[in-house]
Amino acid sequence: MSASTLRGQTFSVGYSLLFFGFLFGPLIIMTITAFNSSSFPRISPWECFTTEWFGVLVNDRRLMGGLVNSIIIGAGVVALSVPVGLAGALALAEIGPKLRSALYTVLITPILIPGVVLGISTIVFWGHIGRQLGFGYDSVFFNGMFLTIAGQVTFISAYAMLIFSARLQRFDPTLTEAALDLGATPGQAFRKIMLPFLRPAILSAAFLTLLASFENYNTTVFTILAQSTFTTALASKVRYGIDPSLSALAVIIIAVTLIGAMIQEAHTRRREAIVTGRASRSRLYGNPIGRFVAHPATIGLLLIALAAVAIWRGSLHDATVCKQEVIDEKRANQQRFLEEQQKRMKQNAPAPQPAQPGAPQGTKNPSPFGGAFGNVAPQSPDAAPPGPPPAQNPSPFGGAFQGLSPPKQ
Amino acid sequence: MDRLKSVFDEFVSRHGIGVALFISLTVLVWVLVLIALPQVAMLDYSFRHNLSPQDIGGPQDVYTLSNYGFFLFRDGSGTNTLDMGVLGKTILASVLVTIIDVIVCYPIAFILAHSATGVAARLMILGLIVPFWVNEILRAFAFRVIFGATGLINGVGMSLGFWDVPIDFIRANVALYSGLTYTYILLMVFPIYNAVEALDRNQIEAAQDMGASWWRVHWRIVLPVAKPGIASGATMVFMLTAGALAAPQILGGPSNLWFTQLVYQWFSDAGNWQRGSAYAAILLVTCLGFVLLMMKVFKVNIGAIGR
Repeated sequence: MSASTLRGQTFSVGYSLLFFGFLFGPLIIMTITAFNSSSFPRISPWECFTTEWFGVLVNDRRLMGGLVNSIIIGAGVVALSVPVGLAGALALAEIGPKLRSALYTVLITPILIPGVVLGISTIVFWGHIGRQLGFGYDSVFFNGMFLTIAGQVTFISAYAMLIFSARLQRFDPTLTEAALDLGATPGQAFRKIMLPFLRPAILSAAFLTLLASFENYNTTVFTILAQSTFTTALASKVRYGIDPSLSALAVIIIAVTLIGAMIQEAHTRRREAIVTGRASRSRLYGNPIGRFVAHPATIGLLLIALAAVAIWRGSLHDATVCKQEVIDEKRANQQRFLEEQQKRMKQNAPAPQPAQPGAPQGTKNPSPFGGAFGNVAPQSPDAAPPGPPPAQNPSPFGGAFQGLSPPKQ
Repeated sequence: MDRLKSVFDEFVSRHGIGVALFISLTVLVWVLVLIALPQVAMLDYSFRHNLSPQDIGGPQDVYTLSNYGFFLFRDGSGTNTLDMGVLGKTILASVLVTIIDVIVCYPIAFILAHSATGVAARLMILGLIVPFWVNEILRAFAFRVIFGATGLINGVGMSLGFWDVPIDFIRANVALYSGLTYTYILLMVFPIYNAVEALDRNQIEAAQDMGASWWRVHWRIVLPVAKPGIASGATMVFMLTAGALAAPQILGGPSNLWFTQLVYQWFSDAGNWQRGSAYAAILLVTCLGFVLLMMKVFKVNIGAIGR
């Protein structure tokens, strides 16, 4: 191995590590913040290990209502865009080259058109039709769910089409011809040859379209009108105040994704081993126990059981003691700070409105002790209203130190 | 028409009348009802006044250029530099994000296609896809956690004493650009990967044997092969970045608007759908025009997109 390829390999490995660090870093950080009891998602300072944010998440009415809408919309979008994409791909595969490039350009544009434009054009168009036909605002033409499905199908079908096109490129048309020669009707040939050939593509298209529908925001935020989907509810939550329950949601999604990916990986490997005939020779697939363990269903069940145990253990975890300690610590700090303040005030002559170094900006501070400081007259912290749980406190020190202002949302 | 008829006959003879009808009707509905007509309707709408429901169809319901005029002149009082500035900035920032994505993704696509093997390659592809199954909103949220005033970077930087006042990454748009770059990485990696994968490794080795330096190998051999992939990825990243709404809403600074946010404001806050449509049309035409111009400059055609 020459020096230059060695250098090249070092570069490859180093760059890959950096790249995947960038890719996974945000996700890892988000995952960790889901377990910190601090009410602003953060890693440092660490307060307490807690699982309460998962409970907060599940009890979020708006998010859960949006989830139901999203599932309905997702089902509708999958049911429509998979056949539409299939039709598009079949049309593209079998027409002349000139017509094909024109049609391809038209069908691919919905992917390129900004989602905002798609959303607007959808509501304007269907609204116009509804008015022309004399329907009122309670008709289907002004229904957020219908409009969202229509708007999403427009471009998500193009994703499905790309998947089908990729698969169709490997289709051998002589198979259909052979079937026809052997006396099958064209319809039979399609059902018995083409559709089975496309089956894996149909599955992946269904999965991808569901995912795309579920996470779409740009189009949906216009077409959903007064209702909300999971993603739009999530977006408004993120815009108007963030807390770690969002991190908890990310943890759930990442966990589900990883489990899915592992099952998929086990499935591909098994399939590969069986197809290449390596299965009978390999140590893993050669004996019944190994075969059972490496079966995707076993792995899936194992992972799901693992997740269930994690959820069960997590639901038992109680962070109140630790949180109480954090509150006490804060109070102690607060107390010390007040005493210092009093001392300084005594030394500093009778200034009627003494400047408070390091005091938080009074009213804007959600800290339980913010009120105590707006009041110049010193009072014991016990007189302050019983501090709400740190869930509402953005900083472990109540903003008393360094004049930390609450996080701007 | 004759051409379409012959195409239809071809379908019938191949797959039977049922499938042929399914294909042609579905594609027709998709192209007309879902793609073309809504755009026409939006364009039509953008030339109308914002009327109350009972005035629609009445004598006041006439075509007007006022919505586009507003974008240029803001009610006749001088040029509307604010909105035009936002559009220009959106385009420039999208170009910047696209360029960063090309630079970041080209090496990884090359490594994936030519250096990684077996398990490593499979893991890398999995690692590329998994982050994109996480909701776009949550990805933006992650960048807020990192870049916020009390976020990770400020926390680490201040506790290590690099700076004492929190740096406002949100206002400086650092968070926004990183978030957008992150969001569309996948759309850049795979087109480049598909293009570069087709390259015969012997060509690279031949060039190396003849003493070409590594950058010369890339410039003269790999890049020309990767070009259609880069064009495809760049087009998608650019269009999606310019049309992004979630990331600017979540990560954008308070005074820094993205053009899609203006569109959104006309719809949601001002309730002026007509002007919103006009702004959406302006965004669409500007972006498509820019992409077509770039395709002319770099001599690629639209057929390469999405491949």
